[in-house]
Formats: sequence, C-alpha cells, structure tokens
Amino acid sequence: MTEEAQQMIEYILRRIRKPTLVIDENTPLVSSGLVDSMALGEVMLTLEDLTNTRIPPGAVKPKDLDTVAKMFATAQRVGKPRK
Amino acid sequence: MGLRAPYKNTRSHLLQWCVLRYRNLIDALDAAPGERPFVTAWINEDEQETVTFAEFRRRARLQAGGLRAHGVNGGDRVIVIMPQGIPAMTVFAGAMMLGAAPALIAYPNEKVEPSKYRSGLAGVTANLKAKLVVIDEEFPHEMLSHVSLGEESRLLRAGDGRGPGGEEELTDAKNQAGRIAFIQHSAGTTGLQKGVALTHGAVLRQLEHLVQALEINGATDRIYSWLPLYHDMGLVACFMLPLAYHVPVVMQSPIDWVMHPETMLQVISEHKCTLAWLPNFAFQFVPRRTRLNRRAQYDLSSIRALINCSEPVRTSSMQEFENAFAATGLKAGALQTSYAMAENVFAVTQSDIDRSSGPTRIWADGGQFRNSHRVVRVAEGSAGSVSFTSSGRLLPNHEIRIVSDSGTPLRESEAGEILIKSDCLFDGYYNRADLTEKAIVDGWYYTGDLGFCVDEELYVVGRKKDLIIVGGENIYPHDIEEIVASHRAVHDGRVIAMGVYNPDLGTEEIIIVAEVESEDLLANTVEIEREIRGQVTAGLGVTVGTVFLKPPKWIVKSTAGKPARCATFEKLQKEHPKLNVE
Repeated sequence: MTEEAQQMIEYILRRIRKPTLVIDENTPLVSSGLVDSMALGEVMLTLEDLTNTRIPPGAVKPKDLDTVAKMFATAQRVGKPRK
Repeated sequence: MGLRAPYKNTRSHLLQWCVLRYRNLIDALDAAPGERPFVTAWINEDEQETVTFAEFRRRARLQAGGLRAHGVNGGDRVIVIMPQGIPAMTVFAGAMMLGAAPALIAYPNEKVEPSKYRSGLAGVTANLKAKLVVIDEEFPHEMLSHVSLGEESRLLRAGDGRGPGGEEELTDAKNQAGRIAFIQHSAGTTGLQKGVALTHGAVLRQLEHLVQALEINGATDRIYSWLPLYHDMGLVACFMLPLAYHVPVVMQSPIDWVMHPETMLQVISEHKCTLAWLPNFAFQFVPRRTRLNRRAQYDLSSIRALINCSEPVRTSSMQEFENAFAATGLKAGALQTSYAMAENVFAVTQSDIDRSSGPTRIWADGGQFRNSHRVVRVAEGSAGSVSFTSSGRLLPNHEIRIVSDSGTPLRESEAGEILIKSDCLFDGYYNRADLTEKAIVDGWYYTGDLGFCVDEELYVVGRKKDLIIVGGENIYPHDIEEIVASHRAVHDGRVIAMGVYNPDLGTEEIIIVAEVESEDLLANTVEIEREIRGQVTAGLGVTVGTVFLKPPKWIVKSTAGKPARCATFEKLQKEHPKLNVE
C-alpha cells in the first residue's frame, strides 16, 4: 500500500468516527454505507491534496470512489494539473 | 378561550381570485422569447450546454412526437427515469405538450438494492397506471433489472432531443387549467405511494404568487440549481418557474454538486445568478468544503435571494454561510427563508426579501417551549433560551391554522400542527382516496409539521409524523425499521428509527435503536451493526448515523404495546447525553 493510500484510510476512519475499524484499499466504502454521499466532497478534497491534482466536476461518479484503490485509480485517470 | 381566526395573508381579501396569465404551462412556455437562454446544463467550466427557449420547445416537441408514436395521449401518465439534464426536461415538457401527466422518479444508483428499487417503481407504475416508463439511451443495461413495469406500461428509451424535427406545433393538446400537469412523488417505499397530482391552474397560481413575492423578472434574473428535479423544490422553483416566467436557469446534477460543493459558488459567480433555493444543510455544507484560501475569489454580489427551504431552518447554518463568504460581496439580507411542500405545489410562506436584516429571529424560553410548546419571548441570548428563524409570511390566497393534537385551534405563540388552505392546494394523492381523506379534512391540509405564529410570521419547528429529513431528502422511519427488524439478531418489531439533528452536518442523521434477540448477542455488536448499516443502505440508499443495539425489553412501549418513539428517545438521551442537541 502506498503512503498516500494509508493516509487516505486514516483520514476516512477519522471522518466516519470509527478509529478502531479495520479497512484496506479494497474495502467497499460507498456501497457499504460507511461513507455517505455528503462525505464524498471532503474525500475529493483530500484525494486532490494527496495526488496534487484537480478532479473536474462531472468526471467522477460515487462508484468511482467506492474503495481507496478506486479513488487513486480515478485520480490518475481523470485528474488534471492544479491551477 | 375562543377559536382563533385562521391566519391569512392580509392581501388575500383583496385578491379573491388569481388572474392567470396563461391557460396552462405549455402556453406559458410557448410565450417565452425564443432567443432568450433557458437552461444551461453545467457539468464543469469546460463542459456546458445552453438551450434557448426556442430550442427547448423544439426538442420538447420532438420528444412529444416520440411519446405519441408510442401511444401516449392526453390524460395518460408517463414516468420519467432519466439523469438530471436537458433531455429529461424535454421529455417532461413533451409529455405535458400532449396533455399527459409526467412523473419524475429518482434514477437508480449502485447503493440501492435492485429488488427494493423495483418494488418501489412497480408501486408507482401500478398506482399511476402509467402508459410509458421513459429511460435514457445510456441507462445501464445492468440496471434494467431495476425497472419493473405494470401490466399496462411499456418501456421507452428516449433520445436527447437534439435530432432534426420538432418544428411542427402540436395542435391537438387540450391542456385546461383543471387538467393534471404532473405528479410529484416523495422518495422511499411509503413516499412513492403518495403521488401528489397538481393541475396546471394550481401550479400557475403558485408561480404567480411566488413571482410577486420575489419580484422575479425574466429579463434580469437567473436561477441557479443543483436540486434534483424529482423533488418539488427542484421541479417547481427551478424548472416550472423558469419555464413559465421565462427566467434563465443554470443547472447542475445533484450528484456532481455533492462531490464538488464549491462549484455552486463558481457557477453563481460566472453566470451572475440572482436566485437559488437550498435545503438548510447546504448553508454549512458549502462553506465547510470550500478551502479557506479560495473563498474570497468568488463573487456572490449578484445574489438577490438564497432561500433556505425544504427542511427546518437553522439560524446557525445560515450564519455560518454569511460569515464564510462575507468577502464575496454577498448582500446583507440575501439569505432568506420559505416554507414549502409538494401538496401546495411549493411555497406556503416567503420571508421579505426587501428586509436587509434577513428573516425575523426571535428568542424564547427553552424550558417552556420544550415542556408546554409555548413561545415565551426573552431577550436575545438569555440563559436557557432557544432561537427560532421565521419562514416568512403567507403568500396571497393562503391561510394557515395551528392546532393541538386533538385538533383544537391554538393561539399565537402556541406550537402545534400546521394546517393549510390555499388556491394552490392539491386535490389529493393520485388514486389514493384513503390517504387523501386523512390528509385533507374540510378543505384543510394537515401537514404533519409543527410550528407557531408570531406577528403574522410562521415558524416551523419540527414534524409531527417523525419523518426524517437528511440533506433535504425525506426518509420514512417505517422503511428503515422494516429492514432492520428483518435482521436475524434483532427482535422483530423492536426497532425505532429517528432523525436527530447533527450540528456538524446542518441536517439530521439517522439513529437506529434496536433490541437484540438475546443478551449474548451484545458481545458481537460490531458485526451486527455493520450488517444493519449495509442492509439499510442497500434497501434505501441512505446512510445510518448511529446504531444503538440494546438488550431485550429496553425500548419503551406505548400503551398500545408498540415502541414509543419519544419516550424511547428520552431514555436514549439520558444514557447518551451527546444526543442532546438544541
């Protein structure tokens, strides 16, 4: 697991207030209900910071962020340089 | 103590009837200046599409032709399941052009279990006896299993309306003011059973009242919206109003917006939008997801009114927005409020947009309010006080009455159920006389909302029906309880779901209290909780805030032997003080 992925996992656990939960890069987060759609906005900001990219609106659906692995794959696929 | 006279808009006695400018919504659309921009579908700064009124009419006529070729005629019902955007709007308008009644239903998503979505949709198609269920061309194949049809319904994949044609006017549409224009549904299994049927006349009267109250001008105003079109606020304020009063609207998909909340500020700045309606949670959701160093770059000076609506208004949320964007040129008094519901087409009240101090705020003794539902006014910020923000004054030709649980009209400053009577009120739930007769009694609509009046302004404080509203979405506790009660570890019938306001979110979150079958199961709460969460999400597409698993016989029962919601919550608050939120 990359350091960025680990940081994202730690962020998510803090965000959902479950510090003792064990999740990995492939744990379903959105489809399982652990991360709701309203938290995705913050997840996107964190993802942009960790990947140093800008993810354009409309390029990503919630299913593209269902796992930490998918988040980083999505950022690589659609991310653009920051302005 | 005599009966209190119903509260009336002071102008209502002068306006015995509302003179409509148009016979119906399609005549209103036809009267729009063709070259004026109508809808801008905003995806991102590099991807937008704007259609003029003329082009929208053409595409809608094209869609109407497609619907008619599949047997749709005046009076038929058409269900539309399409992503937010111009194609869905043209299908909707196209159905109305034929004199049919469209109903927009939320698009399926990966979180909702197919069988649950199918069952909800099957209920709608059966109740409406819909002639067609219209989906988009990109509707995912794997989701077709979500779409169930009644015996009389067929499925149609609609195009985007961009193709050639649509030049001929439809001359056979017979839209009268009394004909049903469209049917509005709430979400959830229970909500989908209640189709609010609204006539052209009712909708046009509502829009006329709203346009007057907000001083809307199609030549100078521009509406911003991310609201879902299947919700009354999105459909009426941000589609029907612009359509009928020729106001440009810039629209985002709600899914795109929720992942990029800051884009609301970008769009308003770029397009100089003047009006928007938002549920309460958005007023703190947007600031908290906008980086501090980016706030001042936005220009909100064009905003005349950002109207807080669709869930109870929280002063703290509005203040957070004002404070966060003080450097953007946001005008004093731009944040306003309204009380609205689909059963009245939309708005019942509107705060005074010319009041630079914003909606009225009052402070009351908190103890007296909680214990006796009475508003005893105290000085601002007094110890133990609670504050309320007004939802404004009644629109013309509207009356309200505040009643006790036994139906007795209450006096000013006493909180009770809000009843409504107006010239926009729906005739009933489509094909559901049983639900209608409970909802409308002697011409009064029993809203199920709790509120009070002070100085002819309405203050809405909660919901009698225990409906949970999360981010403006209606969630019925029964839907959640049914799912949780089916879990093997939960004692059947011993579940309560409720909404508890979370100040960090600015909206409610779902709390579940469930009794386990046996005490030893409490050693395995992590696993059970995870399963319950997953099942609720799969069934309803919503996320649960907290699950409290309790030992057998913990939930308080009513005298009828059923779980008592209020008493149980009080008991929960004593054990978990963090739930005590003002």
